[in-house]
Amino acid sequence: MKLKTLISALASVLLIGSQVAHADKWGDQFPHIAATGDIPGMCSYESMSKKDYSGRTLTINTHAIPVMGEPTALHAEQFEKLTGAKVEVTHTPAGDLYSKAMVPFQAGQAPYDIVFGFSNFINDWKRYLAPVPQEYVDQMEGVSASHKAIASWDGVMYQYPVDGDRHYLKYRKDVIDNPEMQAKYKADTGNELKVPTTWKEYGEMASYFNGWDWDGDGEPEYGSAEVMKKDDLMYAAFYSRSVAYAKNPSTPGGFFFDLETMEPLINNPGFVEALTDWVDAVNYVPPGGINFGLGDEINSFGGGQTLFSFSWDDAFVAAMQPDSPISNQVGAAQLPGADRVWNRENGMWDAKSNQAPFFVWGWAVGVAGKSDNKDVAFDYLCFFANGANHQADIGIGRFGVNPFMEEDFKADVWTQIGWDKDIAQSYVETLADMEKSTNRVFPLRVPGTFEFNSALATGTAKALAGQLSPQAALDEVYAEWVAILERVGADNVRDAYAVGVKMEDNEL
Amino acid sequence: MNFKHKYVFLLPGLIVLIGILIFPIIFTVRLSLSGWNSFNPGLDFIGFKNYVRLFTDDPRFWQSFFRLSFLAITTVFLQYVIGFALAHMVWKDIKFKRFFRVLFLIPMMTTPVIMTVIWRTFFHESLGPLNDFLSIFGVQPPWLSSPSLAKVSIIVVEVWQWTSFMFLLMLAGLLSLPKEPFLAAAVDGASPFKKFIYVTFPLMAPISIGAIVIRLIEASKIMDTVFVLTSGGPGTSTETSSFFIFIKGLREFQMGYAATASFTYLIIMIISLTIIVKVLTKVLMRE
Amino acid sequence: MPKLYTFLKYFFVILWACFVIAPFLWAISTSFKDFNSVTGGATYIPWLQFEPTLDGWSVLFKPGSQGGINIIGPYFNSIFVTLTASLISIVLGTLAAYALSRYTFKAGFVKNNDITFFFISQRIMPPVVLSIPFFLFLSTLGLLDSLAGLILVYIVLLMPIAVWIMVDFFNRVPKEIDETALIDGCNPFQAFFKVVLPNSVPGMLVAGLFCIIFGWIDFFFAFILTFTKVQLLPVKIVALNSSITPWWSLSAAALVSVAPLIIVAFIVERYLSKGNLSGALK
Repeated sequence: MKLKTLISALASVLLIGSQVAHADKWGDQFPHIAATGDIPGMCSYESMSKKDYSGRTLTINTHAIPVMGEPTALHAEQFEKLTGAKVEVTHTPAGDLYSKAMVPFQAGQAPYDIVFGFSNFINDWKRYLAPVPQEYVDQMEGVSASHKAIASWDGVMYQYPVDGDRHYLKYRKDVIDNPEMQAKYKADTGNELKVPTTWKEYGEMASYFNGWDWDGDGEPEYGSAEVMKKDDLMYAAFYSRSVAYAKNPSTPGGFFFDLETMEPLINNPGFVEALTDWVDAVNYVPPGGINFGLGDEINSFGGGQTLFSFSWDDAFVAAMQPDSPISNQVGAAQLPGADRVWNRENGMWDAKSNQAPFFVWGWAVGVAGKSDNKDVAFDYLCFFANGANHQADIGIGRFGVNPFMEEDFKADVWTQIGWDKDIAQSYVETLADMEKSTNRVFPLRVPGTFEFNSALATGTAKALAGQLSPQAALDEVYAEWVAILERVGADNVRDAYAVGVKMEDNEL
Repeated sequence: MNFKHKYVFLLPGLIVLIGILIFPIIFTVRLSLSGWNSFNPGLDFIGFKNYVRLFTDDPRFWQSFFRLSFLAITTVFLQYVIGFALAHMVWKDIKFKRFFRVLFLIPMMTTPVIMTVIWRTFFHESLGPLNDFLSIFGVQPPWLSSPSLAKVSIIVVEVWQWTSFMFLLMLAGLLSLPKEPFLAAAVDGASPFKKFIYVTFPLMAPISIGAIVIRLIEASKIMDTVFVLTSGGPGTSTETSSFFIFIKGLREFQMGYAATASFTYLIIMIISLTIIVKVLTKVLMRE
Repeated sequence: MPKLYTFLKYFFVILWACFVIAPFLWAISTSFKDFNSVTGGATYIPWLQFEPTLDGWSVLFKPGSQGGINIIGPYFNSIFVTLTASLISIVLGTLAAYALSRYTFKAGFVKNNDITFFFISQRIMPPVVLSIPFFLFLSTLGLLDSLAGLILVYIVLLMPIAVWIMVDFFNRVPKEIDETALIDGCNPFQAFFKVVLPNSVPGMLVAGLFCIIFGWIDFFFAFILTFTKVQLLPVKIVALNSSITPWWSLSAAALVSVAPLIIVAFIVERYLSKGNLSGALK
C-alpha cells in the first residue's frame, strides 16, 4: 500500500513537474501565455515552431490600437519568432476597415493577405475571400454552432472565428442592488428598483437617476450612455432597442424584410415604438449624449457617469478594470424586453412579454482570395485563436477579444482576473443564455448592407434631433430601403437575407 | 518677347498637372454614368439615371449644398476680417511682434483630422474644459448636440484653424506694400482710418480676392471637421456636400452616385466661383 | 484716439492669442492623463488635480505588439514626401506662374486668367471620389504603397497653390526688372534665373510654406493609397482611434505632429520681418 501511494505520489509530482516544465518552455519565451503555458492543438506554439515560413511576408490590415489591433500585432510578433515569417501589420479605425479593403478588392488587388472587419461585411467580401480550409474548421472544437454559422455563407466558412461580440445590458450594481436606493425609488415612484426587463422600465429608472449625484462623487450622474452619433455603429444601437418590439417568434420569415414580398418592415409599429423610446432617451443621456459614439459611451459608462448602457463588451470591461472607480460595481444582463410585440401578420400588438437577443457580433477576419500566402495566413489566424492565446487575450480588456468558445462561458475564467464571483457568474450566464435563446436576431448581411444601415442611421438621427417624428423618420427610411432594393435588386437581397432568416427561425 | 519661351515656362507644370489628372477626371465622369456599388463594381452604363436621381429625388444633397454655402461663406468672411485685422495689428509696432506673428501662424499647421479630435474633447459637454469654465456662469451650452450650436462649433473650429491662412497672406501683402502712397497720405495729414480706407485697402484688394477665392475652395471641402465633431449630426444639421459625398462613396460604396454628386458639385463650384471672382473684383477693386 | 486704438489692438491681439493657445494648453494637459483622469471631469493642472502619467506619450514610440504605434518611421516618411513634393511643386509652379504673369496666352476663349483658374480649380474636387481613379492610376504605374506614388499625387495637390501664390507675387514684381535684364543682353531664361528668381525668394518661401502645410496635413490620400510599406504620420496617428478614443495619446500626437512646422513658421516669419519682401518689390 505504502509503496503504491508513494509511487502514485511520485508519479503525480513528476506529472505536475512535466506540466510546469512544459508551461515554462513557451511561457518563459512568451510572457503573454505565462499563466497557462502552451495548450496542445493544431496551431499551438509547439506546432507552429515546427513550421518554417522564413522568406515569406504576411500583410495584415487590422483595427486601431489597442482593441483587436494590439493582439493582432502581438500574435504577429510571436508568429514571426516561431515560424520565421515576416508579418507587416497596419492599423485602421473601425469605420474605415471596410473601404480600406474594399477599394483594392474592387480594383482586383489583394494588398493585404488578411483583412479584419465586421461579421456583417461577409456578403460584400465573400467573393474576394478564400474559404477557410476544412482542416482548420475541423479543429474548432469549442466554437459554438451559431458562431460557425455566422462566419459562413451557405455552409462555406469565410471568416475565421477569433472573437464573439454581443449587445447586452450593463447596469450599476451599487445603485440597482442597493437597498437604500430601492427604498427611495419605491417611495418616489411606487415601483420596484431592479434590473429592468423592459425598455419602459429602463427608461423610467434612467430618467429617475438622471442629473443628480447618486454616487456621492460631487459630479452629477446620468441615466444611460448609448451610441446616438450618426456614424457607422448607430444602426446597431437602434436594432438592439427594436428587437423586443419587432421580433415576434410567432411570425417567422424575416425581421428587416418580409422574406416573401421583400417589403421592408422598418416602419411598422414595432420599430416606431422602439424609436419613440429612443427619442425619449435623449432626455436621460449625459449632456451631449446625442453626439456620443462608441468611444464616448465607453468613457461615460466605464468612467462611472451613467446608470445603464447597452452595447458591446467594451464599456463593461472598461468599468471592470482594476483601477476603475466602479470596478466590481457593475452587472450584466440580457437586453431589456417589452410587454408587447408587434405581430405583422394580423397587424396587431401581441400582449405578451418578449425578449430577443441581438447577435450583432463583431470582429471578423478573412484571408484574401488573391493572396499568395494563404497557407501562412490561415496558420496565423489559427495561431491567433489557439487555446493559450485565446485564454490570455480574453482576460485583457483593451484587447477586445470577447468570449465565443464554450470554455469561455465559465465564471472562474473571470474571477481569476479579479472579478467578483457573482459578477462573473451573471456575465457568463448572460452570454450563455443568448446562445440558448430561440428568438434571436442576426445582423443584416445582404448586398448593400451599408446603404441600408446608413439610411437607417440618417432617419433615426433625424428623429433623435427632433427634425422628424419617429413615424415620419422611419417612413423615410422605408422609402430609402425600397429605393436601395430597386438598385441592388430585390432578388439579390432576398437570396442573401434568406440565409439570415433561416438562422433566426432556428432552421440552421 | 520670344514666342517659344513662354511655353518652356508654362508647359512643364501644365503637362504634369494634366498628365496626372486627365485619367481621374475622365474616369470620374464615366463613373458617374455607371451604377458602381458594393454589389456590382464595374463600369456598366446606366445613362443619366444617377443624375436624374440627384436632381429629382435627393433633397439631402441639395440641403447639404446650401448648408455648405452658408458655412463656407460665413467662415471665410470671418477668417478674412479677423485675419486682415490681426495682420494689420502686428504689421507695425507692437510688443512681442515676432511671438504673435509665429503664434498666429500655428493653427493651420495642425492636421485637421487629429486636431478636431482635440476640439471634440474641448467641446465635450460634461468632460470638456469649455463647459467646465462656463459653469462658473451657470450655463452649459450643448455645443455639439443642438443643431444650431453644432454649426457654431464647426465655424469656431474652422475659423480657429484657417484664420492663420488669411493672416499670413495679408501680412505678407502688407509687408510688401510700397511706401510712397503712405508718405503722400502722411503729407496730406490723413487720419489712420482714412489712410486704411483710401490707401491700404485698395492696395490690398488684389491679394484679398485671391485669398478669399482659394479659401472658399478649401472651405467648401470641409469634411474632417464635420466628420469628427458631429458626423453630420444632430440629425442632418451639419452635413455638407463633401461629407455627403464621402458617406455615399466610401461608406455606402455607391461609387457611381458619389461620382455624379462630385461632378455636379464641381460644375456648380466652378460657375459660382467665376461669378464670385467677378463680383469681388467689382466691389473690392471698384472697377 | 490713438491710445484707444492701441488699447483695442493689444486687447484683441491678446484675446486671439489666448484663443489660439487654449486648445494646445488643453492638449498638453490631456497628454499626461489616463482613462480615469479623463472620465472624471475636466482637470488642468498635473499633480494638483490629477496624477500625471507618460502613457500617452510612450504609446507614440512603442511597437504595435505593445499597444503603441511607433511614429518614427512614418515621421521621416512624412517629412520626405512633403519636402520632395513641395520642392517639385514650387519649381514647376514658379515657372508656370512666371509665364502666366509675363506672357500673354490665347487659345480660343482661353486666356491667362482661365489657365490660372484651371490650376486652382484642381483643388475644387472633393478628394473622396478621386480616390478610386487615383488608386487605379497608381496601380497601373505600379506605384501604390510607395513614396513615389504619394509624391506624384501630392504634386497635383500642391502645384495649384504654388502657381496661384506665385502668379500673384510676380504680378507685383515690376516688369522693369526683367526688361532691364533683357536690355543688358540676357536671354529670357538668364533674365529669369539671374534677376527675377533671386528677387522671388520671399514669395517662394510663402508658397513653400503653404505647400509644406497642405502636404503635411493631408490624411485622405495617404490613407487610401498606401497599405503596409509606406505609412505617413497622420495615417499612423489616426490608427489610435480605437473603440475608445484615447484623448491622451491623440493629444500627444497632435503636439508632436505640429512641432516641425513651428520651426518652418519661425523661418518664414524671419524672412517676412527682415522686410525682404518689400525690399524685392521696390
